Amino acid sequence: MDWVELLREAAPVMLAGAGYTLLYAVAAMVGGLIIGFPTAVLRTVPWKLARLPAAFYVSLFRGTPLLVQLFVIYYGLPSVGIEFTPVTAGILALSLNSGAYLSESLRGAIASIARGQWSASYSLGMGYGQTLRWVILPQALRVAVPSMSNTLISLIKDTSLVSVITMAELMLATKEVIAVTFRPLPLYIAAAAIYWVLSLLFEALQRRAERHLNRAHRGS
Amino acid sequence: MRKPLLSLAATLVLAAATVSASAADLLATVKARGTLKVAMEGTYPPFNFKDQKTGQLAGYDVDVAHLVAKKLGVKAEFVATEWSAILAGLASNKYDVIVSQVTIQPKRELAFDFTIPYTYSAPMLILRQNDTAQYKSLAELKGKRVGVGQGSIFEQQAKAAGGIDVRSYPAAPENLADLAAGRIDAALNDSLIAAYLLKTTKLPIRPGAKVGQVERVAIALRKGNPEFKAALNKALAEAAADGSLSAIAVQWFGTDVSKAP
Repeated sequence: MDWVELLREAAPVMLAGAGYTLLYAVAAMVGGLIIGFPTAVLRTVPWKLARLPAAFYVSLFRGTPLLVQLFVIYYGLPSVGIEFTPVTAGILALSLNSGAYLSESLRGAIASIARGQWSASYSLGMGYGQTLRWVILPQALRVAVPSMSNTLISLIKDTSLVSVITMAELMLATKEVIAVTFRPLPLYIAAAAIYWVLSLLFEALQRRAERHLNRAHRGS
Repeated sequence: MRKPLLSLAATLVLAAATVSASAADLLATVKARGTLKVAMEGTYPPFNFKDQKTGQLAGYDVDVAHLVAKKLGVKAEFVATEWSAILAGLASNKYDVIVSQVTIQPKRELAFDFTIPYTYSAPMLILRQNDTAQYKSLAELKGKRVGVGQGSIFEQQAKAAGGIDVRSYPAAPENLADLAAGRIDAALNDSLIAAYLLKTTKLPIRPGAKVGQVERVAIALRKGNPEFKAALNKALAEAAADGSLSAIAVQWFGTDVSKAP
């Protein structure tokens, strides 16, 4: 069986797996942003009691492997009565993991905005929340885009780990085809190509976001 | 039948899960639900694999699971899961049984219950076609490079033999590709899968000697379900007595591997 024929036979299974990979990655990106934004803000507020839990969460999810997080959430929590479907557990773990990294990108970006901007806003009578919303975040977001995209593109590839909790994503689909065809090389290369194409999609999105956020700075 | 010690994470989870005892016997639950939830790898032909034409799970284990479910008066419902997580999944109640060539081992018997065996098979060496060496035992492989599945009982056996340069692979396809390429001297795997591999791959490999003792393969279930275990055993015993189990074995392997040699 030559490569063309092999890949044609494997295509339906692998493309279905790629579809799931994309779905899980996008869902986890949304989840990661929903978690990452407030976490970043909480870590920059002037109140210690708000900073501590956020710092704890970031440390926990950056400091442990995603694989272990998946095991704990899917296989571990049922023993204390918390039960998730594979899809929920997978997206939850990916969201919590990427949320921790995203919040750090954003925190760094917020910190990069000069203190003078805060002082200037306060002198205009704006409060903490207003300053953050109208002065700091619009500038910080622009700085944060490249490193946030990094996290989101990593997420596409990290979905390959959720095959251990029975989620039928691209990597599991590939392994299933290899198990019956015994042709690892062409199939792994095909899987790599699909991951790359998915990443290219998100790189294009990143470029658009950068252009959009840079509009105010053009020519300045 | 490769088949491992649990990963660290799985072991921790297992320890936590076995503490919480299940209330009612699983048999009542399964009958009320009308389905038997069966876990298997789905990447281990000819035992259990995704049929590329139908997209459905097929293989010897699948047929055995259907047979047992039918005898219980329920339908089999399959969950495909990777080996590294399969025992942890059983411990945390994700499915009722594992029918995926789980070898009965003393360590596993501490954590899980097993039915009566439904497969008997011994480890076998696989060699390169142009290699004229005739190894009769693992002891003769001292100083040689031997490929095994990661976390498999073959890995444990090869390491226990001493003096063998053991190389661990994710699965058989990678292992055999390296054998064909000459990067290892032999592969050690289950004799049943070896026969199947030799038939289905075009790689320049040949069968070697059977080494080691015959292993017993059974259905794994959670402890504390005596009625469920008895019902599974009765179903398997009936299937063995009426010849339907042998028929499945012969269909997949050409010989009756369901009986002790």
